[in-house]
Amino acid sequence: MEQNPVIHIDRLTKVYTVNERDAGLIAAMRSLVKRKTRDVNAVDAISFSVAEGEIVGFLGPNGAGKTTTLKMLSGLLHPTGGRATVLGYRPWERNRDYLRRMTLVMGQRNQLLWDIPVVDTFELHRAVYRIPEAQYRPAVEELTELLELESLLQKPTRNLSLGERMKCEIATALLHRPSVLFLDEPTIGLDVTMQRRIRRFITDYNQRTGATVLLTSHYMADVEALCKRVIVIHHGKLLYDGELTGLADRVAPFKTVEVKLQNGLNDRPLAQYGELIAQSEGRITLRIPKDDTASVTGRLLAELDVADLTVQDPPIEDVIEHVFSQSPDPSVAPDSQHANGD
Amino acid sequence: MFYIRLFATYLRIGILGELEYRANFWISLVQSALDLCVALGGLAVVFNHTDTLGGWRQEELLALVGVYFLIGGLIRTIIRPSMTKFMDDVRQGTLDFTLTKPADSQVLVSIQSIEIWRLVDVLIALPVLGIALLRLGARLGLLDTAVFAVTLLSGALIIYSFWLMLSTCAFWFVKVENIQVIFMSMWQAGRWPVSIYPAWLRAVLTFLVPVAFATTVPASAVSGRITDASLVGTVALAVAMLLVSRWFWRVGIRFYSGASA
Repeated sequence: MEQNPVIHIDRLTKVYTVNERDAGLIAAMRSLVKRKTRDVNAVDAISFSVAEGEIVGFLGPNGAGKTTTLKMLSGLLHPTGGRATVLGYRPWERNRDYLRRMTLVMGQRNQLLWDIPVVDTFELHRAVYRIPEAQYRPAVEELTELLELESLLQKPTRNLSLGERMKCEIATALLHRPSVLFLDEPTIGLDVTMQRRIRRFITDYNQRTGATVLLTSHYMADVEALCKRVIVIHHGKLLYDGELTGLADRVAPFKTVEVKLQNGLNDRPLAQYGELIAQSEGRITLRIPKDDTASVTGRLLAELDVADLTVQDPPIEDVIEHVFSQSPDPSVAPDSQHANGD
Repeated sequence: MFYIRLFATYLRIGILGELEYRANFWISLVQSALDLCVALGGLAVVFNHTDTLGGWRQEELLALVGVYFLIGGLIRTIIRPSMTKFMDDVRQGTLDFTLTKPADSQVLVSIQSIEIWRLVDVLIALPVLGIALLRLGARLGLLDTAVFAVTLLSGALIIYSFWLMLSTCAFWFVKVENIQVIFMSMWQAGRWPVSIYPAWLRAVLTFLVPVAFATTVPASAVSGRITDASLVGTVALAVAMLLVSRWFWRVGIRFYSGASA
């Protein structure tokens, strides 16, 4: 990236040692004495940089190593190897000045205090982060306005809906105006309207403060709306780092052609044109290698009674799925097995 | 200063949280009153038959009951709820939020949950202790009072450090709640001076689970039976355990974040 990236990681690696045992009681007893362990490369020599003010989508299936990477960057885990700096700090040293400038939001976990009004959790944060009054009031007002929290602040957390709670979680995490945001599935389980609101908020916050955002999500709508750039990892390895639009070209060079026929299908052999992926009442969808798009559409128009024809890039979900179904599993190397007496 | 303000904030939140459940106040009050009745009733029964118990006179044992309730109240108000929440956080992964805060994690964990109604125990302890001290008054000098305060503080720190070390085990074993239950039942034994117990139990209550230091030692300070050696020993143990528990906490955190791997 350009001058002084905010996040810079270089061959960052995290190896977990996991216990393994066979099913059954005897195996369980044996594992009390002697444990078989296996090393799993949760994150395998990943390198990338993120510039100030960027919103980067961090994609991968469950267990790809996204959360492990975020945890290393937010100082919760020590890497097994490699280097990382965020804002010039090594995260796992947990320098207070660093912690004051970053935040971690985990969509599946809650830090709001259950029994007390949200505004009192805010107060606690103010105390922990030592936010001066002159900064705290405007921050609360701004977040209240942007996330529409007005009616929620006085309610105890347990009375909030899932979406309302997530809005308040995010507000809490941003009270100290962090300049680096690690968002781990911030929209998980929310309805579409709420997802959209949170997305809009992330964009707003990014534009207002110039904060750098690294975000994971399983909702492609999040990624498409927020991130120009995506980083894809799978089995701990980096598969792609670049523009979202380029991802399709690079890993799934296909186009989707939808054709509406005038007189129904008439049992024509459609497979000759491309891979048939959907078919219904005179409407067919074909997947065609990108380079053949022009010739195939030409043939379709010439040989069939086409009423309508559209050529599209494949939906990003399909692209991602394609990526993950294709790459082999490099983490389970046979020689990484070893017995280990505990 | 910062941590005092933080503590005040947690205290405020504790009050707010508990106000949501007012019934808890009455339950705590009844429970504490019952505990006190049992303790005082026990004393009454004993002193119906004898004038001293293991060399302790009535008002000295009353002071012991006061100390027992005072320290017990602090355990139930701050230490136990905070450590319980800590173990929950380890199991649910929410400890991550604590560790990403720009403040000392041990302090945050130790004061994070305050069950305000449990202060009832402390409120009950104060008059009991007051009456005992008044009755002992003639023989109680300024120095004795200072020694009492020092041993009381040391006892509280020893119990805190001990409990922190037990809780820190959660980093390795995740589920260690039962240790708390065991501790609280050992704690019951602190209602009587450890000198009345058989030697093996006395050793357990002194060295394995340091209940004696938090109850018997401060109470012997007011009854003038504390030796210089045990005073110095108690203070030294408090400092040592504070340091060891701090060290152990850091080892636990390092293990949690996988630095050892």
